[in-house]
Formats: sequence, C-alpha cells, structure tokens
Amino acid sequence: MTLVAYLLLVFVGAYVVAVVEEWSTSGRLRPTAPLLHGLALLARESLTPRRHDRNLFEAGPTLLLVAAVLALVALPLAPGLLPVELATGALWLNAALVYVAVALLMAGWGPDGAYAMVGGFRFVGQFIGYAMLIVMPVTAVAMRAESLATIAVVESQAPLWNVLAQPLGFVLFLVAAMAVCFLPPFDQPVAAAELAGGVFGEYTGVRLVVVRLGRLVLVLTLALSVTVLFLGGWLGPWLPPAVWSLLKTLAVVLVMLSVGRYLPRLRTDWALEWGWKLGIPLALVNILWVGVVLLVGPA
Amino acid sequence: MSVLVVSLIVAAVLFAIGLYGALSQTNLVMIMMGVELMLAGAMLNVVAFWRYLHPEAYSGQMFVLVLMTVMALEMAVGFGVATARFRSRGSVEMEEAVELRG
Amino acid sequence: MIQVLFVVLFGAVAIWFAYKVFTTASMMRSALALLFSMTAVGAMFLALQAEFLGVLQIMMMASEMVVMALFMIMYMMNPGGLAAMEMTHQKRLSIAVAVVAGLLAVGAALFGGWPLATEAVAAPAGQTRELGLEIMERSMLVFETAGVTILVAMIATTALAIRRPA
Repeated sequence: MTLVAYLLLVFVGAYVVAVVEEWSTSGRLRPTAPLLHGLALLARESLTPRRHDRNLFEAGPTLLLVAAVLALVALPLAPGLLPVELATGALWLNAALVYVAVALLMAGWGPDGAYAMVGGFRFVGQFIGYAMLIVMPVTAVAMRAESLATIAVVESQAPLWNVLAQPLGFVLFLVAAMAVCFLPPFDQPVAAAELAGGVFGEYTGVRLVVVRLGRLVLVLTLALSVTVLFLGGWLGPWLPPAVWSLLKTLAVVLVMLSVGRYLPRLRTDWALEWGWKLGIPLALVNILWVGVVLLVGPA
Repeated sequence: MSVLVVSLIVAAVLFAIGLYGALSQTNLVMIMMGVELMLAGAMLNVVAFWRYLHPEAYSGQMFVLVLMTVMALEMAVGFGVATARFRSRGSVEMEEAVELRG
Repeated sequence: MIQVLFVVLFGAVAIWFAYKVFTTASMMRSALALLFSMTAVGAMFLALQAEFLGVLQIMMMASEMVVMALFMIMYMMNPGGLAAMEMTHQKRLSIAVAVVAGLLAVGAALFGGWPLATEAVAAPAGQTRELGLEIMERSMLVFETAGVTILVAMIATTALAIRRPA
C-alpha cells in the first residue's frame, strides 16, 4: 500500500517536472499540457525501425526508468519516508545512476540507425567525463556524515548544510547531475537540431511515453539527491519535513532546467577535457578540504 | 546442498566459461572478456568463503576489493595494448600477432 | 531458504549471460551480456549478505563494461555482427580444457568437506565499518600496494596508448 502511494507520488513529481520543463522552454505555464501530450502519444502508432535489435531496443527505455526509480528509492523525503533503508545508500545511488549510461547505450544501438547510435556514443563519452564528478562529491559528503546511509547524511547537516560546508562539491555535483540527465548544455546525445532526436529519435508512441517518463523521473531523482546530499534534505523550520524536501527539490529542478537554456551546447571533447583536467582536481581539493575541516574543526 | 556449495558451483561454471572464452577467441577484447569472467568466478568464491567459513575475518572482503582493482587494471592495460596494436597494425586480431612469438 | 532461492536465481542469470557472451554474433550484445552477468554476480554478493561489496560490484562493473562496449565497437572488424564470421580458434581444445577445469572446480566444491562457520554475519553498517578499519589498520600495506599498482598501470597505459610522432 505504501509502495503504491510512493509510486503515485513519484508520478506526480514527474508530472510537475514536465510542467516546469515546458515553462522553462516556452515561458507558458500550462498544467494540462503533459497529460494531453501523453494521451496523444499513447493513441499514436508505435513504429519500429526496419532492422532493429529487438532486445536492446525494447529494454533501453525501460532500463532508463528502472535505473531512475532504483536511485530514487534510496533517498529519504523525511525521517520515516524512506522506501528502502540501505546501510550503503549513497553508494547505491551512484550504482543506480551508472545504469543510465547503460540504458542510453542500449537505446542508441538498438534501433540500428546512424543518428541514434551517434547519440548513444556521445552519451558514453559524456559519461566518462562526468562519472568521477558524481562519485567524488558524494565521497566528501559521506566523509562528513561518517556514514553511507542517506538518513545519516541528512542528519549530519543539522549544524550547517553541505552547500555551505563544501560549496565546491555542491557546484561539481550539480553540474554532473545536469550531465546525467542530459539537460542543456549537456544535451549532446539528444541534440534536436543536429541529430534529429538522437538516442530516442526512433522511438514513437507508447515507447516514447516510457522514454519521456524515464527522463522526468531521472531529473526528479537528481534534484532530490542534490537536496538530500547538499541542501539539508528535510531540515528546516516551521513546515513539516516532507514539505521542506519537496520545496527544495522543486527549487533545484527549476535551477537545473533553466540554467542551461542560456548556454551553448557543450562539445563532447570539451566536456571530457574540462571534466578530467578541471573537475577531478577540484573534486580532490574538495575531498582534501572536507578532510582537513573534519580533522581540525570543532567536533 | 548448502548455499556455499551452490555459490562455488556457480563460480566454477563462470570460471569454465571464461576459460573457454580466453582460449578460443581470436580478438583481444573478447579474450579480455574471458579473463574478466574468470576473475568474477574467483571473486564469487572469495565472498562465499568469507560468508560461510570466516564471517569474522574482514581481510576476506578486502581481498575482494583487491580483486576488483586487478580487474580494472587488466581492463586498462588491455585497452592500452589494444590501442597501441590498432595504431600500428590496424587490427586487434591475435591470429595476426605471430611476430610476438619471439 | 529464501537466500538459497536468490542465490540459485542470480547464479542462473549470471551463467546464462556468461554463456551468451561467447555465443552471440553482435559485439554490443556480448559486451552487454557480460555487463548483466557481472551485475548478477553483484546481486549474488547482496544475497550472500556482503552489501557493500555487492553494491560496489554492481557499480564498478557497469562502468567498466560501458567503456568496454565503446572499445569493442572501436576495434572490431564487424561490430554489428550482420554477417556471420568465425572469430574463434582451437575450439575443441578450449572446450575440453574448460570442461576439465570446470569439473575439477565443481568436484572440489562438492567434496571439499567445508567446516561451515556457525556465527552470524554482522549488520551491513557494521560490516562497512569493519572493512574500513581492516583497510586502514591491519591490511593498510596491501591496500597501499594496490593503490600504487593502479598508479603504475595508469602511467604504463598512457605511455602505451599515446600517439607518438612518427
């Protein structure tokens, strides 16, 4: 029963993300538009490419949705509202997010089309660039919490939120989070203008609904993980804990969806170069900083 | 049969499949896949032994970490060799690498 | 009981995907089959109550295999497997060696006479803590050696793969 309620909540969250996404691109706030689009897609014919690899083609979008949901269940909304309580929650989050790259690789190879394949490989390149920037800030957060459990991570932020205690890690993780859900300026794999839809260009009808839903849940997951890891999760005065979590998540979703609109699309080689030559040294500095503060700071 | 024996049998089968792959494939990358499978079987053995013979000895778990490092290294060095070979010969087929015979 | 069930289930999945690695014609499929085989091994770790190792295995192997898929496509003559081609040699010998080795290992597993431990396993959080202490205290030298080995491999690989002026 609680599981059904939780999944319903995830669905509502994804819907809100869809409304916000449209607002951030077109400037119009239309609460019913995603519903109408979704219904229209469901009614539309679901075409398949001529020589597609059936297993990979069908499994790609599903794996995207599954990976996003698996990452989401390890993140708490409030002290009692954590679907799966893992002792290694922060590591589990990393593990589930890797499967986003697997899903895009499968979806890119499956249709046997040039645009989709190029999109899939672009995402793998991007993945090599951002992977370390997800893992290393999470390591620093876990160091401060002295635990990998997500509940303990939030509780460790009661004196000072991680966004202030380790601002470098916050910036790196936020940028990497945008790269995970291929939002602009990291939308190389789906680049509408040059790849005709990229990875998901060959998906239509019901399959496209799964793709869109998977991506929306992914954005929601990353926003909630930024909230839990850096913005103090449910901590806050007056309002009930879960409301604080949701408000912060909504704010992060707004930032993630709107910031990239003002930047040019990032080339894959630049993403790799900046990720490895700039991002990883900064992430190491962040880990060093957190370690030094933990050693010499007040207990 | 205990869980230990079941895990050991699974590990043995994984090892055998990996061994077959490493011996029979002609492509360097496929040979590496076989080696990875053999190492996975070894790791499964170590975890099963840790769990059912010495759950109090955490050096068993640490050994698995070292094995994972070995796997990553094997991949990295293997791809380095593959890249160098592909640059100079245009292929990573091991049938063509007879000049390494010495 | 339920543990046996999970171990058998994930073991079967791991073996099935491992078998698919060398029987499918498409390189992408065989890389992904290896990925899912490794993931199933990670799930077996979880079923064997080694939570940290299981999650780590699931994470590391997925990233490794994604990179492996990329390299396979780069260096394969026929990555899509659209035309049938022979990519094996000494097949009979390989099968014989693999079967003999596998039977030996299975025999050792069946007739090993393992002295099963009776004590229960620690809770996951305690395990992670104990593992950390093991790494940082008793086995620190081993772990440091692993780290240095990684560094050496990184340098060696870069030296191998770098493009030299002709």
